[in-house]
Amino acid sequence: MTKRLVQGNEAVFLGAVKAGATFFAGYPISPSSEILAQASVYAASHPEFRFLQEEDEIASANAILGGSLAGAKSFTATSGPGFSLMQEAVGYGHKVGIPCVIVNVMRVGPGTGMPTMPGQGDLLQTRYGSTGDYTSIVFYPSTVAECYEYSIHAFNAAEESRSPVIILSDAFLGHLNEVADLDEIKVPVVKRTLEPLAKGSTRLFSGVATYPDGEPATADGDEFIRQYYESRDHRRAVADKYNFHEYGWNKDAETLVIAFGITARVARPLAPHFALFRPIRLWPTLDKELADVAGKYKKIIVIEGSDGQYADVVEHMLLRRVERVPLLGGRMSIEAISEGLDRIGMLPAGFAVDKKSAAPVG
Amino acid sequence: MAIKDKLKTDLFPTIWCPGCGIGLIMQQLASVMDDLGLDKTNTVLITGIGCTGRMGAYMNFESVYTLHGRTLPVAEAVKMVRPELNVIVVSGDGDTASIGGNHLLHSIRRNPNVTVICNNNEIYGLTGGQAGPTTPKGTSTISSPAGAGYSPINLQGVVASNPNAFYAKTTVYHQGPMKKAIKEAIEWPGFAFVDVASQCIENNGRRIGFASANDMLQHYRTEYKAAPPGATHLETHQTGIVKGSPVAAGETRS
Repeated sequence: MTKRLVQGNEAVFLGAVKAGATFFAGYPISPSSEILAQASVYAASHPEFRFLQEEDEIASANAILGGSLAGAKSFTATSGPGFSLMQEAVGYGHKVGIPCVIVNVMRVGPGTGMPTMPGQGDLLQTRYGSTGDYTSIVFYPSTVAECYEYSIHAFNAAEESRSPVIILSDAFLGHLNEVADLDEIKVPVVKRTLEPLAKGSTRLFSGVATYPDGEPATADGDEFIRQYYESRDHRRAVADKYNFHEYGWNKDAETLVIAFGITARVARPLAPHFALFRPIRLWPTLDKELADVAGKYKKIIVIEGSDGQYADVVEHMLLRRVERVPLLGGRMSIEAISEGLDRIGMLPAGFAVDKKSAAPVG
Repeated sequence: MAIKDKLKTDLFPTIWCPGCGIGLIMQQLASVMDDLGLDKTNTVLITGIGCTGRMGAYMNFESVYTLHGRTLPVAEAVKMVRPELNVIVVSGDGDTASIGGNHLLHSIRRNPNVTVICNNNEIYGLTGGQAGPTTPKGTSTISSPAGAGYSPINLQGVVASNPNAFYAKTTVYHQGPMKKAIKEAIEWPGFAFVDVASQCIENNGRRIGFASANDMLQHYRTEYKAAPPGATHLETHQTGIVKGSPVAAGETRS
C-alpha cells in the first residue's frame, strides 16, 4: 500500500518485527550495524521489544539463546568476524533445540577482511562453522523485498525446526535502497513452539546429551545417536517446506548459471544467454530441485563471491564438473563477471557490458 | 515446604566427588529458596560449564546449563525478557572469572538484577586440576608444577567497579553466613555476587597438602574471620558483605 525506499538491512529488521520478534541482542559491525541501530530505535518506542547492545558477538549469540528460552522470538545481526565468534553458540542452539535467527551481512574475509566490501565467503561457515554435526537452515535473499520476505520465513523455520536459522545478506544487498511495498508481502507467521522458561516445568537445557528426566547421558552413545538422528530428520523435514529457489532467464540456453543473493542480480545482463538457477535456501542444499533442471544443460557455471565454495558443493550435489567465476575482493560487478567468463572461455559472443545498465537492477 | 522440594533427590547421588563443597552450597541455596518462596514458576537457574554447573540438573527448577563462560549473557537476556523472574547464576570460578571474564565485567557495568553464586575452589576441577584465575600465586597444580605464576583476580574489586553492586565473601564452612549472603544477594536490587570459598579435595586439596575434605573445611574455619560490622572492603580471608548503594528496579545505575 505504501511504496517507499527501503534499505536491505532495514527490510530484514522489519521482517523480523513482522514475524513477531521481541528481543534483539547485538554488537556493532559493518556492514550489518543498521540492523542494530534499527532495533535500538524501535525498542525506544515499543516497550515490549527488548534491545541489548552486548560487549561482543559471543554475548550476542548466547543472549538470543537465553531470550528465546525465556519466551521471546530473538535475533542478532553480524558480519563474518562476528559470525565466527558466534559459532559455538550456533552449535549449542542446535543441540539444545532453541529457535532464533542470526543475520550475517557478509563482507570480504578472512580475518578482519574488507569491512565495506560485499563477499559471499561465509557460505560454508553457515553449514560447518560449529563443532560436530548439525543441520543448518540458511536463506539468502537477493532483493530488498526478499530481505523482508525471507526474514519472516527464517523466523518461521526457526520455530518449526527449533534451531538457529541463518539469513545471509552482504554489504551490497544490506546497503541497497530499493523501492518496495512491504505491506504487499504476505507471509503467515508461525507461533512460538517452545514453552517459555518457568511456566511450571523443571526442564534442564543442556549442551550435553541429557535424558528426558534431566540426568546427563554423557557416557551413552546410543542415546546421543538417537537424539542426533531425531533432530536431524526433524530439521530436514522442516527445511523441505522451505525449498525456495528460482529457475529462470533463458531456459533454452545450453549453459546454466548458478548464482545466489546479490550475485544473481549483478549477473542479470547475461539473461539472454544463459539459464539461471538461484538457490534461496542455501542449506540444506536443494539437491532434487537442482538435479531436476541441471541435466538439460551442457555446461554449468557457478558465479559467486568466494573462491568456489558453492561450486564445490554443486559438484558434489551433481557429481559433475562445473565452471567457476569467483568474484573476489568485493568486485561484485558485471565487468568482473565478464572478465571471469572470458577467462574460462565462456563469455557469450558479442556480449559487452552496457555501462548504463551495469547497475544491479532485477 | 522443605528443602527437599527444591531438589531432584531421585537423581541423587550426584556426580560430585565425595567431600566436594558444591553440595554445601546447593543445600544453603535450596534453604534460601524455601525461605523466600522461590519455586519453578518464579525462578530460573543459569549454570556454567564445570562441576558447579551440574547443580541445575539436581534442582526442581528450570535450568540452563550454558556454554562455558556464557552464563551471564544468557542470564541477562532471560531477565530482560522476563523481568518478573528471579534469575540465579550458579557457576565456578573458572567459568565466571576466566573464560566468562569479559561478560562479568560488562554485566557488572550494566547492573542487571541477577544473582551470581560463584563456587570458588581456586582450581579447574572437572578437567583435572589446572591453575585458574583464582589460584593463589605459588600453588602447585597440574598446569603449574612449579607454582602458579600470577596473583589471582580480584573479584571484589571487579564487582566494586559498579558502585551499586553487592559483593559477599563466604566459605562453605560458614554455613550461617553463607545462607545470609545468598539470601541478601537474591533480595538485592541489581547485580549481586556471592564468592564462596569451597574445597576441591580430589583435584586440588590433596595435591597441596590437605589429607581430607574435612581438613580443608577446618582450614576455612581457622583462616577466615568475619569482617567488622560496616566494613566497606574485605581483606583476604575475611568473610562479609559489601553493599553498594542500591538502585531501585528500573532505574539506571550511577
